[in-house]
Amino acid sequence: MTKTFKALGLAVGALALTHLPAAAQTKVTNQGISADEIVIGTHQDLSGPIKVWGVPVSNGMKMAVEEINAAGGIQGRKIKMILEDSGYDPKRAVLASQKMVERDKVFAMVGPMGSPTVLAAQDVLFDAGVLQLFPLTAAEFTFKFDPAKPQERLKFNNLLPYVESTRAALKHMIEWKGFKKPCVMHQDDEYGKNVLDGFNQQLVAMKIQPASITSYKRGVSDFSAQVAKMKADGCDLVVLGTVIRETIGAMGEAKKLGWDVTFLGATPTNVLEVPTLGKEAVEGLYAASGFEIPYEDTAKGKVKDWLANYKKMFGSDANTQAIIGYNAVMTFAHYANKAGKDLTGQKMLDSLESGDKFLDIFSSPPTKFSKTDHLANTITQVQQIKNGRWVLVKEGLMF
Amino acid sequence: MRFIFKTDYEDDIRLFPHSGYVWSYGTLLLLLAIAPFVLSSYLMSQLVFVCIYATVGVGLLILTGFTGQASLGHAAFLAIGAYTTAYLQQYNVPFPVYFLAAGLLTGVVGALVGFPALRLQGIYLVIATISFAFIVEEILARWESVTHGNEGMRVKTLTLLGTAVPRDSPAFYFLCLGVLILTIVGSLNLLRSPTGRAFVAIRDSETAARSMGVNVALYKVKSFAISAAITGMAGCLYAHKLSFISPEMFTLQLSIEFIIVILIGGTFSLHGAVLGAIFLVMIDPFLTYLKDDMPGIIANVAAAFGASKATASNIQSNVAAFASANGLKGAIYGVIIMLFVLFEPLGLYGRWLKIKLFFQLFPLYKRATFKRQKIYVKSERNR
Repeated sequence: MTKTFKALGLAVGALALTHLPAAAQTKVTNQGISADEIVIGTHQDLSGPIKVWGVPVSNGMKMAVEEINAAGGIQGRKIKMILEDSGYDPKRAVLASQKMVERDKVFAMVGPMGSPTVLAAQDVLFDAGVLQLFPLTAAEFTFKFDPAKPQERLKFNNLLPYVESTRAALKHMIEWKGFKKPCVMHQDDEYGKNVLDGFNQQLVAMKIQPASITSYKRGVSDFSAQVAKMKADGCDLVVLGTVIRETIGAMGEAKKLGWDVTFLGATPTNVLEVPTLGKEAVEGLYAASGFEIPYEDTAKGKVKDWLANYKKMFGSDANTQAIIGYNAVMTFAHYANKAGKDLTGQKMLDSLESGDKFLDIFSSPPTKFSKTDHLANTITQVQQIKNGRWVLVKEGLMF
Repeated sequence: MRFIFKTDYEDDIRLFPHSGYVWSYGTLLLLLAIAPFVLSSYLMSQLVFVCIYATVGVGLLILTGFTGQASLGHAAFLAIGAYTTAYLQQYNVPFPVYFLAAGLLTGVVGALVGFPALRLQGIYLVIATISFAFIVEEILARWESVTHGNEGMRVKTLTLLGTAVPRDSPAFYFLCLGVLILTIVGSLNLLRSPTGRAFVAIRDSETAARSMGVNVALYKVKSFAISAAITGMAGCLYAHKLSFISPEMFTLQLSIEFIIVILIGGTFSLHGAVLGAIFLVMIDPFLTYLKDDMPGIIANVAAAFGASKATASNIQSNVAAFASANGLKGAIYGVIIMLFVLFEPLGLYGRWLKIKLFFQLFPLYKRATFKRQKIYVKSERNR
């Protein structure tokens, strides 16, 4: 009797042992890699509320794919990119991801768009062992992972997170100009909340009291109440957790009231549309940013060619969004190339985690990942609009 | 053509009027039961969404289709169910408890919405329900200690009887299917009871209903509560299916989707909710499928008609470029809905009944059979 139990215990123990390492191992798929092709997928908002992001990002990605394929592909393999429209609807993002994983057999999901869409769909990818690379959301869940859950190791992000970049830029501004009464105006959504968190955390760290905190609902176009309140509260620096229209609206309102105050925008304000559409209203705006925005007449070498190519392909000027999309595919290509001729999922994961640096053509800070850190970097710049152009003020900032 | 000779009241309210129903629904049930073992998980995922949307559709039909009270606030009811789930799950409350709690809480909220709605009709009621949805969205964004505000909440994998039920597993599908079937059967039962008849009476004419002794206020509130409770339970499943919820998911657009479900499906029968949900969930994957495969098919057809290889591949790339144009899918979708509203106000189920009758009566079918339908919107002048 006892012998049988012992044997049973031993058998169970042995079985458990054989299963242990298997459970701790990250499963990475090899699907989508053939002798002459690598299939990657992405879902973008091409018809919903944030298509001003989705369309140029997908353009940038298409351009990168064409460039790589024209140059002979990755170790002889051409990239085939499957693009689906999620319309910023999490249901459609889940279905699109399942379709790409099962029907199109994508090897990796590169640059998917939006927080609710990416988060609702990401388990579909992890269950199938598909890498989720460089999504277009700076939320924490796209790079922080639990080491106890091996499938979570499949996520990597190279976007500058809002909390960290806001903190770094705010720190620099306060130390540089000695602001005493900083305020914040933020969009009432997940992005705005991140900016608010960064603002609050930095002020606590620097032992400064916020003078005023205001918010607005996405889609509104009147900011007179918020600006009047901040003026009444005596703010000397206004941090903007806004996007394009709201940045222009808030600064225009301040100009109208004759209020001379310094504005500092979070990274989404650092796009070409702000000075182009805002004109004089946004002169002097500071913004946190990840890389310098190239201009056609001052760009040199590769960047100049790139801008010209983009215009030729899509008939419009390239913007920050297009650069981010382009970089997402280029970063993928860099690490896939490094993984070698006999590319597999495991080799791709090792290559990403190897700590090898990727440098883009736009002289952004280097992208680098490790086994424990799946966020490229948090190095922030501060730029300012001078004469209708973004000009670099300070780079290499951390908080 | 079969003629059913009804001899007593029981015959009139029977769920299955004759054996044909048992056979056809039995076959459907069998097909649904073997589906997860035959279909890919992509299709299964669509079926799960169909079940969830159909459940909401049934809830909305009770309110809009049978009681005649329009609502553009059902996304808010779904949100309350979903957030109840995410909140209670943190405290390790078992699934059956929070599932029922989601329904109960949403039902109570639905009743509270029903009270002010008593004095409102038609477009004013729609506006009131929209404002209710905005209030809920605002609360979800502000009440950070409970809802985590705009950060959203992760929903853990469902556990039932100690075993995990992942959202892509057959078990989860059967759960959603079971909830849908129970909802449909429960609603059918409700609608053939005095309560259901009171709902329909209110829809057709409030004045007439009141003069017949129907307590209009009570039944309107009841209808709101039942409709909301069903939507709340669907919200629980929705939260599990998406595994993440945030306030920006439960917008006016989602409420409009639910209205589309019943408009496309047909507002006069519960079949409409299911057919509408199938349409709404599956049209997008279907258009994606066309986008992927049509160019190749067209090129093959061209080649069969004698086009050269170069022309065929040229055609293929041109069609592919056209098919993947941004917003084309949205436009097709919109056109389909417009055509439905214009030419088939009875929805998909109405079309099905017409086709069925056409074959049953062949060659004696006459179009006028369906002409005189008293639809609740038209009866508003009788109030």
